[in-house]
Parts: sequence; structure tokens; C-alpha cells
Amino acid sequence: MAYLTLSNISKQFGDTYAVQDFNLDVEKGEFVSFLGPSGCGKTTTLRMIAGFETPTDGAIALGGADITNKPPNQRKMGMIFQSYALFPNMTVAQNIGFGLRVRKDSKADIQERVREMISLVNLEKHAEKYPYQLSGGQQQRVSLARALAIRPDVLLLDEPLSALDAKIRVSLRAQIREIQRKLGITAIFVTHDQEEALSISDRIVVMYDGNVEQVGTPFEIYNFPTTTFVANFVGSLNTAVAEVTDPAKGLLSVNGVQFSSAAKMDGLQKGDNVRIAIRPERFSFASEVRKANVVDCRIENITFLGSVVRVHMLIGNSSFTMDTFNYPSLELPRIGATEQVTCSREAVLLLEEVRANGHEPKL
Amino acid sequence: MKSSISSSSPLANPAVRGARRPSRFKFGYWLGVLPFFVFSALLLIAPTVILGYRSLEGPDGGLTLDNYRQLTSEAVLSAYGMSIRISLTSAVLGGLVGFLIAWAISIGGLPRPLRTITSTFSGVASNFAGVPLAAAYVFTLGRVGVVTALFELLGIDLYRSGFSLYSFTGLTLVYMYFQIPLMVLVILPAIDGLKREWREAAENLGATSTQYWRDVALPVLMPSILGTMILLFGNAFGAHATAYALTGGLFNLATLLIGQQISGDVLHNPGLGYAVAMGMVIIMALSILIYSVLQRRSERWLR
Amino acid sequence: MTVSAAPTQATVKSETARAPVRKNRFWSWLIFVVGALYFLVPLAATFYWSLRAEKDKFGFEAYRRLFADTNFLPSFSESIVNAIAAILISLLIIVPTAYWVTLRLPKLRPVIEFITLLPFVIPAVVLVFGLIRLYSRPPLLLTATYDSSRILLVCVYAALSFPYMFRAVDNGLRAMDVRTLTEAAQSLGASWPTILFRVIFPNLRVALLSGALLTFAIVIGELTIALFMAQHTLGPYMANLTRSKVYEPSAMAIVAFAITWAAMGIIQLIGRGQQGQIAGGH
Repeated sequence: MAYLTLSNISKQFGDTYAVQDFNLDVEKGEFVSFLGPSGCGKTTTLRMIAGFETPTDGAIALGGADITNKPPNQRKMGMIFQSYALFPNMTVAQNIGFGLRVRKDSKADIQERVREMISLVNLEKHAEKYPYQLSGGQQQRVSLARALAIRPDVLLLDEPLSALDAKIRVSLRAQIREIQRKLGITAIFVTHDQEEALSISDRIVVMYDGNVEQVGTPFEIYNFPTTTFVANFVGSLNTAVAEVTDPAKGLLSVNGVQFSSAAKMDGLQKGDNVRIAIRPERFSFASEVRKANVVDCRIENITFLGSVVRVHMLIGNSSFTMDTFNYPSLELPRIGATEQVTCSREAVLLLEEVRANGHEPKL
Repeated sequence: MKSSISSSSPLANPAVRGARRPSRFKFGYWLGVLPFFVFSALLLIAPTVILGYRSLEGPDGGLTLDNYRQLTSEAVLSAYGMSIRISLTSAVLGGLVGFLIAWAISIGGLPRPLRTITSTFSGVASNFAGVPLAAAYVFTLGRVGVVTALFELLGIDLYRSGFSLYSFTGLTLVYMYFQIPLMVLVILPAIDGLKREWREAAENLGATSTQYWRDVALPVLMPSILGTMILLFGNAFGAHATAYALTGGLFNLATLLIGQQISGDVLHNPGLGYAVAMGMVIIMALSILIYSVLQRRSERWLR
Repeated sequence: MTVSAAPTQATVKSETARAPVRKNRFWSWLIFVVGALYFLVPLAATFYWSLRAEKDKFGFEAYRRLFADTNFLPSFSESIVNAIAAILISLLIIVPTAYWVTLRLPKLRPVIEFITLLPFVIPAVVLVFGLIRLYSRPPLLLTATYDSSRILLVCVYAALSFPYMFRAVDNGLRAMDVRTLTEAAQSLGASWPTILFRVIFPNLRVALLSGALLTFAIVIGELTIALFMAQHTLGPYMANLTRSKVYEPSAMAIVAFAITWAAMGIIQLIGRGQQGQIAGGH
């Protein structure tokens, strides 16, 4: 039995579903991210776990006990808000001790725990400062310490890094993950930033429009997206409509250019239309001979992005981009030149079908 | 005023600018605000300064603090005392009631339109003072007022049982009519400044609603509440028109005493009259000062 | 992605979680109703009296008598003219000041904010005391004639409106980012008058109107200063009326209330809650 279970959760506001039929099992100590654009229902789901919203349907269980209708102040879930939500009238130490004070721990216990938490987030020098005297990153660390002080069963993080500068975002991200590992605490992390989700999570739940699109490890989500939305939202991507020419051998045709894919094509028949996806970095110039997928392309444009050079090219009549690492001896082709590029069979992903000729393909 | 403009950002470096350009340009700058200063000086500052100067003048000329020492004389002290009692009571009560109303219409869960209506009405009522307000209360709680009559129907004679509109209680009740709405207007933004996340964070950490209000919301609001009450104090303390209209200027109140002093030297000492007036200015200035200090503190929190 | 929960949408399931809110709402309603009673009863009582001028019958006789009073309309119109004059003077002084302070002299802001606080610090009765002492003898003899006193009164009203006017205009200027707009207009070759009248004023309409209406509401029935300057304006007239007549004062109070409502209502309509006002001068 999983530690935190969300079964068939739905949340309706008026006539619209913010979240629809959400299912998830979270293991103890796991770090799960909810990833999606704004309005996808990720925050609503988190707020239902925290108890700030009540599901219209479905149940939430923690450690086997149903908590669907438990008031938030009895759930023991530490929540971190995007706006930090530190109490402005309290010092750092008082903020951290708040949860312990309201449950009437002894003074000595509170002091001890607060000191422990302050050193956990490296704020020893700031214990007696007020929130307005701290930087955003420091405030969010206080917020983290405050949530952890009550030894919560689950740590909930609602876009905790979105209000911070890029550099602090990255370092605090690492700090959060490190602390979460050290304490072995179960964490749910809401973000719209795919890089954040990929770098920090054990598992990612990609959400869109109130629905779960895909659940998987960062590796799976990135390398094997199962829907167009996931493929597009996580990383950049080339997609094209392809016609199945030989399902047994995994052969497809994009405007007459043949591709070979390692994806399973059970249930597909010759002539079915599918959507394929290839990540830009999976292409390379065909300097060495490969078995599969060596195709001609016309170089349309070249964009220099620093560590990466992005090549815009036409394959058949479809536009593709290729990302290739930048190094000093790199020889870039002329714009307008015809070159050969290659990608492995595994790089050619199948998303969902576009139009099936009377068949229901299962992917 | 063509002199003052160059299309690049002229304020970017005032030091360099001032060094390079002739002072004529600076004068051009000041021309825009000159009327304001002249006007304020002639109509607000000079009259106060002359009162201040006269209050320090002895009967035979020369500077003295004698007039201020006489502020402790009984006539003055009782007028100040009544003014302070009425202002303090109407500020504290008006502040409390105003806060409760502001709470009810903002986060108390009442329908949204009530908030709009209440805040517009507060704008009206906080400016509905002076003669019309006094008249309205005469018709309500005066000897022949409607409410007085209603109490009579219930067998209660308000005026026999010690109530009078022309007393401390009556005047306080009347003042509350503009004190409460002013509190609502000033405190509403502060209540709006309470972030939903604070409440959620508190709940999340195990706090009950009472604990949240006691430990977070009220402490956060306290500077605003206290500051606004002090503002209300000043508002009532300087009020003249309402009391004048209600009592014909004969009640023992600091503002009315000054009024009497203007009409004819009732204190039989012009210098003392000036000192009474300056005393009011000092008390008002102190209350405004404390108000702005507290307001600044709460703004820092509610940012 | 913040979703605000409308409490009315709480389902049966969530009743337990919503229970505290329902308890609060009872208190909210109680407070609101008691408060509303406190504020409406005096108005209702006054209105009741204003309809009772004729024996044994309700009617608008008190209003008729009020408007028929030979002194009412002259003092009313004099007050209106005074108010409009004060508003114009105030606008003429405050708009350039606020504009200049925002654009050129930000260092002066604290000084100006301090000065605009003075009308709150100096009670009206103290101010008029000082004005009379200052301007009732040479070299600054301004209270010698009725008309010169009237000019002084209008100027004082303008000065008293500074806090409201400055705040309204200042908020308006901040809301429209006056610096960028001015620089944009300059870069397009606009002259100063063009900038002021074609760019700044149109964008400030709401702020100017709010400040003007608030000033109007405060000045129209002003008693204290007019009284001691022996002016025949609405305030002293009303004070006199309450002492000499029985029913007319009730009609007068209702009319005054209606005027204040009109001014505030328009502010609310045009500004949708833009005003940050502090009342004063009671």
C-alpha cells in the first residue's frame, strides 16, 4: 500500500473541472513533481492534499487512513508557498517555532527544534531578523524550516522557486532536494518549469487541462513522452505526421522520406497515419555510416545558442531542428546546402495516431 | 518653461547637471512648485506661526512661557479634559466598531455588493458632519427626537434617566457617526493586506482560527488599528462645527472655547487664548505623527 | 493558478470543513445589521420629521418652505460659487506641483507631503483664529470688506483641499507612469502645452474629478471658518436655521446628505475605489 494515495480525485468550480479523475500513489520518501502550464490543476490538486480545497469526488488517504475531509490544521502537512507566506510580525526564529507553539510544545523543545532547523537551512546569522530584512531566497529557506519544524508527514511545495532569481532558484532547488533526501520526507512539488521538475524529482506527473497526461521518472518523461502535450511541454521537439509503411519492421514515411522507429507498432497497419517526434539533440550530421535513418536535408538557417548550435532544416517538406554541441573545431554547413543527417531508431518516438484507416491503434 | 527640457533623461545625474548648467534652470524647476509654497505659507503656516508667536508674548511684550503655564487653570483644563474624553472615547469605540464592520464586509463572508455599498456610504458619512449631522441627531435623540419618542412608548424617559444629547455621552454618540466610517475607510486596505497565504500557512502548521487571529492577523493589523484610532482621536479633537451646531457653542470643549475666545475675550487674557489654540495644534501634530509612524510600520509588513 | 473558492459552491461533503466560516458569517451579519441601524436610524428619523411640517399629514412642506426662504438660495449659490472657485484654484496649484514633484523634484516630495498634512494638524477653529489675527490689520488687511473676506475664505478652502487634491492627483500620476508618457511625448516632438493638455490631463480626468468632488463635499457646508469670517454661506445659514426653525432643518439635513451622497457616488462610479481619503474639518 502506498503512503499517500489519491484515488479518482475531481474538483469542480461551478461548471468547470479544475481537476478530473486524478489518481496517484506516492511512496514514503518519494519526491514527486506536478508539472504543467498554469491552469492545469496542479495547484488545486496540491491544495486538496493540504486540505484547503475539498475534492468534489474521490478520496485522499495518508498511511492507509482517509483524510479527504480532515481540516488542514490537523493534517500535519508542511506547505511552502510561492510568496513565502512568512508571518511579518515574527522573527525568523518565531516563524519557525510557530507550528510548535500552537501545539503547545515545551519551551525547551521548541528552542531546540528551532535551533536545529535554523542550522539545517544555514540561517544562524539571521535568527532574530524579520522577514522584510531578508532576501527572497532566505525567506523561502525560513519557510522551508518552518514547514519542516513540525515534522510533517508530507512536504508540499507550491511553486516555491518561481519568485526567485535564476541563480538562487538553481541553488535552492538543490538544497531542497538535499534536505528532503536527508530527512527521507515525502515531498510533492508543484512547478511549471520543466527543467526544475526534471532535475529535482523521483517521479513527475505531467498535467494538462485538469487531466494527468503522463506519470513517470524524469528519464521516462523526457525520453519516452506518450502524448503530444508531454512531448512538447518537456524539452523542445520536432513532430511530424508520418504514414506507417511497414509496421513489422517499424518503417514510416514522412512526405516520402523513410524513417525507421524502434517504437512498438502493435495494432497499426500499413497506411495508418501517426505522429512521430524526434528531439533536436538526437540528430547529428551523418559523418559516420549508420544502419538506420540517414536522410537528406536542406539547411535553412543556423542559430547560435552558446553551448548549442541549432540548425533549422527541411526534410522532405517538413521543418525539423537539430541541436548540436558547439566546439571550436565545429564546421557548420552553408545555409542552402544539402547535407545528410542521422538519428537512431530509438530517437523516433510515436505519439498518438492522427488518423487511422478504420482501426483503433493501441500505443 | 522650454528651458528645463532635454530629451535624454534629465534626472539621471543631477549632480553633473547642476554643475554644468546655470542656476537659471533650477529656478525654472522651482517655478512649478512656487505657487504651492506661497499659498501654503500665507494660508496655513503664517496663521499658525503668528498664533505661536503671540502665545509666547507676555502682556507687556517680551517672550514668556506664562501663557502655557496658565493652561492648567481650571477653565482651560476642563475644556481640554472634556475634549480629550470625548475624542478618546469616540476614537476607541468608533475604531472598534469600524474595525468590526470592515472585517465583516471584507473577510467576514458577506456578499460582495455590501462591501461596495458600505465603503461608498462610509465616504459619505465620514464627510457628513457639522450642522446637518447635528440636526439629524436632534431629530433622532433630542428631546422630541424619534428615538426618544420610541423609548417613551416603551416607558423609558431617556432625558429623565440622565441621558442628554448635549452631554459627553450625546456628543460622543454623534461623533461616532463620522468616526466609524473613517475607521472603515482607513482600515479596509489594511485588512485587505492580510494575505490568504498567512492564514493557510498558519492552518497548515496546525493553528486554529483563533490562534491565527491572536498570533498573526491581529498583531499584523495592530499598528494600523492603533494608528487609525489615533487619527480618529485627532479627527474628533479638532472638530468644531458639529459641537457648535449642536450646543450653540456653549459646551465646555476646547474648540468651542477657542471659538468663544475669537468672538470675545472670554478668558480675559488674549495670550492664554493663543496658548490654548497652540496646545491643540501640538496635540494634533503629535497624534498625526504617531499615526504616520505606525502606518509606516504596517506598510512595511503589508507590502 | 490560484483558484479562489466561492463559499457558495461548497458541496455537502465539505460541510464539516466550512463550518467555522458559517459561524463567522452569523457574526458578520449581526455586526453589519447593527451598524446599518446605527447609521440609518438618524437619517430615517430626520426624513420622518422633514415630512411632518403640516399638521396630521405627510408632505414635502418643509422642503417647500426651505427653498422658499429668501436666504436659502442666495447662501446656497454663494457656497457653490465659493466651492467651484476653491476647486479651480486648488487644481491650478496642485496639478503643476504634483507633476513637477513626480517628474523633476522628487526630493521635495516629503516636504510637500508634510505641508499637505497641515490641514489635519491645524483645527479649522485654530486656523481661522490665526487668519483673523494675521489679516485683520495692516499691512495685510483682508477682512475689511465682505468681498475681500470672501476671497480670503475661498483661498483658505483651496488650501484645505490640498491633502485630498494632492493625494488624488499624485495617485493618478503614479498610475499612469507620467515620466515615460512625458518622455514618449517629447521624443515625438510634443511641446509642453501639448504634453500637459493632450497627454497628462486626459489621463488624469478621474483623479482630478475625484479630488474636485471631494473638495466640493467638504467645502459646500463648511461652518467654522465661514462663521468667524462673517460670511453668508450655507454653513452659517444652516446653523442659524437650526436655531430659528422647527421643521426646515430636517429638510436641510436631508438635502445636505443627498449632496454628499451625490459627490461620493460619482467619485465611486468614475474611480471604482481609487480614492484614498481622510476626512477632516468637522
